[in-house]
Amino acid sequence: MNREIIKNIIFGLLIILSQILIFNHINLLGISSPSVYIILFILYKTNYDKTLLIILGFLIGIIMDLSMQTYGCHTFASLTVCFFKKWVENYSFGVNSNLPNAMVKGTSLTNRFTYFIIITLLHSLLYFILLYFNSELLLTILLSTLFNSIITFIIIWIISNLIIEK
Amino acid sequence: MQSIINSIFKYRNLIIYIALSFLIFNNLYNKSSIHYTQFGRLGLYVSAKTSNFSYNLNSFLNLKEENSRLLDENLKLLQNKSLFIGYNKFDSLNSSNVLTNANIILNSTNKNKNIMVIDKGKKDGVEKEMGVITVNGVVGIIKNITENYSSVISVLNTDLKINAILKNTSTIGSISWDGNNSKIVNLNDIPLSNSLKIGDTVVTGGMSFYFPKGIPIGEILDYKNQTQNGYYEIDVSLFNDFSSLSNIYILSRFDNEEIKNLIYE
Repeated sequence: MNREIIKNIIFGLLIILSQILIFNHINLLGISSPSVYIILFILYKTNYDKTLLIILGFLIGIIMDLSMQTYGCHTFASLTVCFFKKWVENYSFGVNSNLPNAMVKGTSLTNRFTYFIIITLLHSLLYFILLYFNSELLLTILLSTLFNSIITFIIIWIISNLIIEK
Repeated sequence: MQSIINSIFKYRNLIIYIALSFLIFNNLYNKSSIHYTQFGRLGLYVSAKTSNFSYNLNSFLNLKEENSRLLDENLKLLQNKSLFIGYNKFDSLNSSNVLTNANIILNSTNKNKNIMVIDKGKKDGVEKEMGVITVNGVVGIIKNITENYSSVISVLNTDLKINAILKNTSTIGSISWDGNNSKIVNLNDIPLSNSLKIGDTVVTGGMSFYFPKGIPIGEILDYKNQTQNGYYEIDVSLFNDFSSLSNIYILSRFDNEEIKNLIYE
């Protein structure tokens, strides 16, 4: 149990550091810098405490906001993703959603795909709505959301598959 | 008691979520100017919609009073022939300066930063930072606009400074409000080397794009010349009674692309 916690903490720190040092500086076509850190919320096991997840989401969001000067857009997006994660799990995994390792191991590809894509889309959408915060820029918001979530999804998918291999 | 604690414990995630979201939005509102403006527009929309109802009721009840006031105003206009005090040989304010008239539907004088809401907006050609006056003098500057409504920073707002001159001597100063008395504002930056007397008229200076030169603001009520910094401390009593304003005129801005190019070159 202790080993697992230490492993999780190290993994979390690695992801946060790589987000701050690498992914924040990737600026594809001037609009997209992938929010890879949401992999932490995606891989957060279902049998862990939900309240802790919400607080973790808030703290990680604050770190991202401080590093990107976005005044709270990341924080709100990740907080909301953490809060609604339970429903997304139920929707995408159905009866299997209460298995402890449900998010990556031993689930069918379509379920996993839906789960990943909903979380990334929700996060990007909330982030860009708050970032632009203007109903006249709706098209820009939607396009950025789509583009950013595709990039983010690809990177997250690769990382999560690498982890399962171990 | 037990059940309350139980239900708090049961919904702890929701409570934490709402509390943290509130924190985030509070931070956004205070720190980011984009979000501040957008929240301001939303607030303006809501307050205008709600105040419009009470305004309609009030204006119906006050018809008689309003009528007599308008008659007075009309008489004054007829007597003067020209709307405003002609400051120069040529009257700087002609009819083309006045964009439209409007009614105030929300007004306050008891706060530090007073804001009014008027019933003309983008649809009527109102733009940000236009000047707002009445027949008696300066009222404020347009701050935010929506389709049908606009908000006005009144002179009684500690954030607003208006360029002003003494009508007799043309000395340039600025009008600001200290937040205390809604009938008195301060005139700053007049050097002690100038002579002035109680009752002198203060008018706008025309050194901005909001107001042309010569629109009345108020008259000198009292002044102190015993200051250390070389400037007078002047109290000016406003011509406008801000607690009973209802009809105002909006002035169009008189800057153009050519002037802007010069400034931002």
